[in-house]
Amino acid sequence: PSPHPPSLTAMECRVLSIQSHVVRGYVGNKSASFPLQLLGFEVDSINSVQFSNHTGYSHWKGQVLTADELHVLYEGIKLNNVHHYDYVLTGYTRDTSFLEMVVDIVQELKRANPNLVYVCDPVLGDHGSMYVPQNLYPVYKNKVVPVADIITPNQFEAELLTGKNISTEKDAVEVMDLLHAMGPDTVVITSSDLPSRLGDRFLVSLGSQRHVRPDGSRTTQRVRLEVPKVDAVFVGTGDLFAAMLLAWTHHYPTDLKTACEKTFSVMHHVIQRTISYAHELAGPGRRPSPPQLELRMVQSKADIEDPAIVTEATVIS
Amino acid sequence: MKACRVLSIQSHVVRGYVGNKSATFPLQVLGFEVDSINSVQFSNHTGYAHWKGQVLTAEELNVLYEGIKLNNVNHYDYILTGYSRDISFLETVVDIIKELKKANPSLVYVCDPVMGDQGAMYVPENLLPVYKNKVVPLADILTPNQFEAELLTGRKINTEEDAIEVMDLLHKMGPETVVLTSTDLPSKQGDQFLVALGSQKIKKPDGTNTDQKICMDIPKVDAVFVGTGDLFAAMMLAWTHHHPKDLKTACEKTVSVMHHVIKRTITYANEMAGPGKRPTPAQLELRMVQSKADIENPTIVVEAKVLQKSSQ
Repeated sequence: PSPHPPSLTAMECRVLSIQSHVVRGYVGNKSASFPLQLLGFEVDSINSVQFSNHTGYSHWKGQVLTADELHVLYEGIKLNNVHHYDYVLTGYTRDTSFLEMVVDIVQELKRANPNLVYVCDPVLGDHGSMYVPQNLYPVYKNKVVPVADIITPNQFEAELLTGKNISTEKDAVEVMDLLHAMGPDTVVITSSDLPSRLGDRFLVSLGSQRHVRPDGSRTTQRVRLEVPKVDAVFVGTGDLFAAMLLAWTHHYPTDLKTACEKTFSVMHHVIQRTISYAHELAGPGRRPSPPQLELRMVQSKADIEDPAIVTEATVIS
Repeated sequence: MKACRVLSIQSHVVRGYVGNKSATFPLQVLGFEVDSINSVQFSNHTGYAHWKGQVLTAEELNVLYEGIKLNNVNHYDYILTGYSRDISFLETVVDIIKELKKANPSLVYVCDPVMGDQGAMYVPENLLPVYKNKVVPLADILTPNQFEAELLTGRKINTEEDAIEVMDLLHKMGPETVVLTSTDLPSKQGDQFLVALGSQKIKKPDGTNTDQKICMDIPKVDAVFVGTGDLFAAMMLAWTHHHPKDLKTACEKTVSVMHHVIKRTITYANEMAGPGKRPTPAQLELRMVQSKADIENPTIVVEAKVLQKSSQ
């Protein structure tokens, strides 16, 4: 179905997002909430931590929420009988008991609303190494991913979760099928080292979505995107990606191609705006600092609301 | 809009729109960079049947500010504060503001001195001296209701003249811009309206002072909203930023935004509740996300009357 522009629809779509909060900058809930709200989603947010800024700065300070405190907050929502959500969204976590509490909450919310869609960014690491405690890995594999409906692993995380290496597109397709078998009907490998058709200034992303046809038979749509590389380290882009994939799969639930094109296009616009501004601030020949590289989220409002498509996805078999 | 960074120190609720949840989205929609320190994290506001959560201590607030400072990013154009229940927390806020004003002498502190309403305090009494002696003197823009204005000045407001004198007393305490967000004064448009007033001291190019005083008749709504004061203060910040020497326009835009959000909210709440039933707190949560267009570009629905423009 062709969707009307999100801004004209009072959507009544409620997301529970359980992520970090930073006073300054755009990661976790700071990265996810504003764009989702712009697109008309009601966002309830539980802040898993409150830090001054993300941990890529020279300094950072703040407090973490315990699994118990998370439970207490959820209890408050439940006591008021408002624990009804259409989506749950989670990202970076460092604590196994916190993650296990999140799983319990997701399971309960799914009982309250069997149509609930759990969008999970299984943040474990990148470029061959883990950057969360190792003991999170079995929790993701055995408890979290099985209840997820949409996951957004990078190549490393996809390999870790399935125990299979990705050297070719065929490997990636097999890994995505393995991930489907673990639970989620929608899998997007957000970035990979696969060689791009457009050369080494591009990285390859892939997506796979399983559907059940009206006649009961299964079909899988698979897509591939060539995404321009940017020579900078951004923080919070994965969080923005997962949030925007939530939004665009909501508007295109059976059209992963379009959902990915919109999501990757939004990322492109925000990143371009950010890198331009960062270079301006840093000055010629200097590498921008983490504060200068904070996503230009507020300035990207129009692109978030209605992204011009800049990346075309190829449907692959 | 030129880069404008706000530090907002207010409550966070998981669900609903009060404190930072009420202030942040509208300010971001209007292009402001909003850094937010959450003074509490609660499941929802305390008007629901149940609420649960955790509070930030003064020490933890300090730690967060230290993180910002260590990275040398403690530079703000605005600070925004609202509901607070804790003296030591409020005093730490004062220290932070003083330091931020040293870092940027042009910083504008927008303060909602939340203490009570309709004749009764709903914060601990010992906050009054802190507001009076430490907070209000630092404030540049103040948004008290009638009760709070009377508490801070020790003067009752029975007439428009009283209101003007109270606003002048508040100017003397610090803030150049004062808005009495609601009063019991009789409106010329009848009892379906409440009266709000504002006063702004302006320095003319020739160095002399002048002030603009305005009043507005605002339609009453038969419901209890929570978070509207927080939205009001945030929108006053935004519209005085765009109209720094024109309180009339800044107030008209602010009050108009409030009107659109409240109307949308009450319509939806009544739909949800069903005919003849009073909506619940959950149903009365502000329709913030749905009001984006009104926030971005509010159609003016209330005209402010200029009361006097006297030079001193």
